[in-house]
Amino acid sequence: MSFTDTDLIARVLLSGDQNAFAELVRRHQSPVRAFLTRMTRGDAHQADDLAQETFLKVWQKLNTYRGGAKFSTWLFSIAFNEFRSAARKRGELLSADIEEAAEEKPAPDMNQGLRLDLTAALERLSSNERAAILLCCQNGMSHEEAAQILDSPVGTVKTNILRGKEKLKRLLSL
Amino acid sequence: MNTPEDSIDALLREQNSYQSDNGFTARVVKELPRHRRNWLRPVILLAAVIVGAMLAWWWLPLKNMPPLDFSKLQSLNSSVLSTWLTVLVVVGSLVWGAITALRSEE
Repeated sequence: MSFTDTDLIARVLLSGDQNAFAELVRRHQSPVRAFLTRMTRGDAHQADDLAQETFLKVWQKLNTYRGGAKFSTWLFSIAFNEFRSAARKRGELLSADIEEAAEEKPAPDMNQGLRLDLTAALERLSSNERAAILLCCQNGMSHEEAAQILDSPVGTVKTNILRGKEKLKRLLSL
Repeated sequence: MNTPEDSIDALLREQNSYQSDNGFTARVVKELPRHRRNWLRPVILLAAVIVGAMLAWWWLPLKNMPPLDFSKLQSLNSSVLSTWLTVLVVVGSLVWGAITALRSEE
């Protein structure tokens, strides 16, 4: 018998059922870790640390989840906050202007095939552009869901997607 | 005909492959705080054990207990059997409650 996310959340909240929580982690670890790996520019070790912190926060804050949004939306918003505060702690500059300057430099591995090109090109987008593109174009979320995760207006998300795609087209010579 | 944007979307979706767990879930579960809300259960059980022990001490005729005569225990109507059976049930319940409470705290 398979339980829905809502069933599992109820079990965790009612009896602190760690098996139910483990099942939630198992179901959602892949997209969260993939998203964080992209956000950290391919640093899988750091991405896993952030993903672990994300799920520990979920455990602590699960009683504040109201069920108004999808669980995955709520989960990704915690993951993005973890990424943002880690970047802030490391003193990384998240400003789009500064990252745009980096984008103008040619990517070193641009000739290793389109798949590698896309990875390299994504790394040259600003964090907000990359996050918006990954959430909407890769994970199939709506603009509204992405706006909720990124804590930005829907219009800003749409602009970031458009601008990010323009840059990708230029970088990939499409 | 595919536009460049379609190609970008297709590439992004293609790269969205499943990331295998590789022990990630186990690491997360290992790091979970030991207690969540399950502190409530042992607390209630321990409180019940303490109250039960106090009531047993108060109500059971411990000072006037009939001697444990095994020949009289065989008769179902004997006062020896009913008294000792009550004591046994009360003590058994208290021990069970205490063990359960302590095990839930582990």
